[in-house]
Amino acid sequence: MKIVACIKYSLTLSELKVDPATRELRLATTPQRVGTIDRNVLEAAVVLKPEGSTVHGLTLAPAGAREAFREAIAMGLDDLTIVDSTNWAAGGPMATAAVLAAAIQKMGDVDLVVCGEASDDGVTYQVPPRLAERLGWPLLAYARNIALAGATLTADRDLDIGMQSVACDLPLVLTVTQETNTPRRPTLMDAVKAKKKPVVVWQPEADLGLSAEALQAAGGVTRIAQEGIVIARKEQLFQGDDMKALANQLLDALLAEHVVAE
Amino acid sequence: MAKLLVYSEEAGVARELLAKARQVAGTQGFTEVGVVALGAAAAATAAIWGEWGADVVYTVAEPALDVYNPETYTAALAGVIEQVQPVVVLVGATKRGLEVNGRVAERLGAGAVSWCDDFSYDAASQSVTAKCLVYTGIGNNTYRINVLPALAAVPPGVFHEQAFAGHSAAVIAVPVAIPAARMRVLANSVKADTGRRLQDAPVIVDVGQGMRNREDLAMAEELAGLLNGQVACSRPISSERDWFPEWLGLSGLKLSPDLCITLGVSGSIQHTIGIRESKLIVAVNSDENAGIFAQADYGIHADLYQFVPALIEAIKTRSVTKK
Ligand SMILES: Cc1cc2nc3c(=O)[nH]c(=O)nc-3n(C[C@H](O)[C@H](O)[C@H](O)COP(=O)(O)OP(=O)(O)OC[C@H]3O[C@@H](n4cnc5c(N)ncnc54)[C@H](O)[C@@H]3O)c2cc1C
Repeated sequence: MKIVACIKYSLTLSELKVDPATRELRLATTPQRVGTIDRNVLEAAVVLKPEGSTVHGLTLAPAGAREAFREAIAMGLDDLTIVDSTNWAAGGPMATAAVLAAAIQKMGDVDLVVCGEASDDGVTYQVPPRLAERLGWPLLAYARNIALAGATLTADRDLDIGMQSVACDLPLVLTVTQETNTPRRPTLMDAVKAKKKPVVVWQPEADLGLSAEALQAAGGVTRIAQEGIVIARKEQLFQGDDMKALANQLLDALLAEHVVAE
Repeated sequence: MAKLLVYSEEAGVARELLAKARQVAGTQGFTEVGVVALGAAAAATAAIWGEWGADVVYTVAEPALDVYNPETYTAALAGVIEQVQPVVVLVGATKRGLEVNGRVAERLGAGAVSWCDDFSYDAASQSVTAKCLVYTGIGNNTYRINVLPALAAVPPGVFHEQAFAGHSAAVIAVPVAIPAARMRVLANSVKADTGRRLQDAPVIVDVGQGMRNREDLAMAEELAGLLNGQVACSRPISSERDWFPEWLGLSGLKLSPDLCITLGVSGSIQHTIGIRESKLIVAVNSDENAGIFAQADYGIHADLYQFVPALIEAIKTRSVTKK
């Protein structure tokens, strides 16, 4: 059996700052890393892997970021394919799904694709359903309590209203949430072994036969403005060991704000 | 003929989207506001959507659609869109709405955006402009969508339902063939509805993972009770610990109380987007560097287990109330 884990080199959103004067999002200075949800993806893929199977990492990322994937590989990937986005001019979930689908088809004989419910940074929730549609496979999204018996996968889908227990035959696209599992921490041994694992780099145009221009046009969505959201708060911090004093300080502040009355 | 279509498998969310659609229909030149009702049961009560603002209810009365399955719902919604040919489709961005939205967009080659909180249609240029939350709410992007229909996934709670007394809707059955789904639904367990209306509470006590045990909720309940408020929580408190059916944040409720008191909430943006419209935010956290302090008016750097009892005591001693 062949499993593909789709992972993303993502912006660390907790570090993304808004320029208070210009409201510009400081994207260029925000550090990037393989996302936290991607650890759940890798854990799910590695745990599911039956005897004699292989797990392949797949990402659309700048080839120059390959070192950032070292730990992801160490979590149990047999190899990693980077579709190089360095000179790739198409953005958005539609183009990303097209790239991933083309790469999965080129890999051949894939039985299961695992994705995060949404990426750490884009969070559009569009890529997995679009990928499933492109591949013509069912999408089993928001999966918890995942089990694989032969060629049938069962899971509980964590929906807003409750759990939906489902069964589905492979091939399929699976998405996981941060609640799905607890990602493993690779050991030093794993990290050493990871250095020997192959990293393949494909170019979307030359190797996958895709056209950024055509995909961008077909996507039909163009960004025309961007603005950071600034919400000013007082940010007043009360501290000290005397809880009674702290409580009274807070009540005084709330009374002064007229949100409560005495 | 510029039609706007609304779809959500959650009736409450569909009502919110319909209200917005009805409000802008005249100014943006929509000739029709439609809503999709899927399943035999939903089709039987389709006429109720008139007073929520719909001109037309498009039904697919297949019994197979009485149980939600993303494959059959994708087929049904894609089929309705193909036949109705709207220029804008508003989809409720629940987890179910999002999985259907992406797949329908891919199937139809439609332009799609997520986390939309405002939109406008321009008949002259045949394009839709959509304002969307990006980076989980740190910013806004404005997009032009010129491959129509434009599918816009709108989070619950962005718009507000409104009854349009006397407005009535035509019911039109749309013939759509629903293929058998490959993913089989074995069982659905629905979280018990507590019937709480968090949206109406003037004070919210927002509990995060800093609260260790379910019994400790009693202290949050007491604090909320003294201030005429309600207790709400972050997603892990609901999804991992199952203390409450609903949570606040990007994928949950968005509230705007007079006062929100967070207890043991770290301040991740996916959560604070659910409380940032509060008039005043108080944060209690034992980690001096917790991100929540930068998003609060008053921060209390303390162990909630020590501070909350002291606060309750002080409220009682000083007879502090919420008007
Ligand atoms: C795509 C996506 C969507 C998401 N949507 C949502 C959403 O809608 N809503 C949501 O809430 N989350 C959402 N999340 C999860 C979110 O990223 C955070 O993981 C989550 O909100 C953290 O919850 P928390 O603050 O309760 O817990 P934690 O981050 O674990 O924080 C606990 C805090 O409690 C403090 N603490 C511990 N002990 C004490 C004590 N004794 N006294 C005082 N303080 C204490 C700690 O210092 C810490 O700051 C989403 C995540 C993803 C990836």
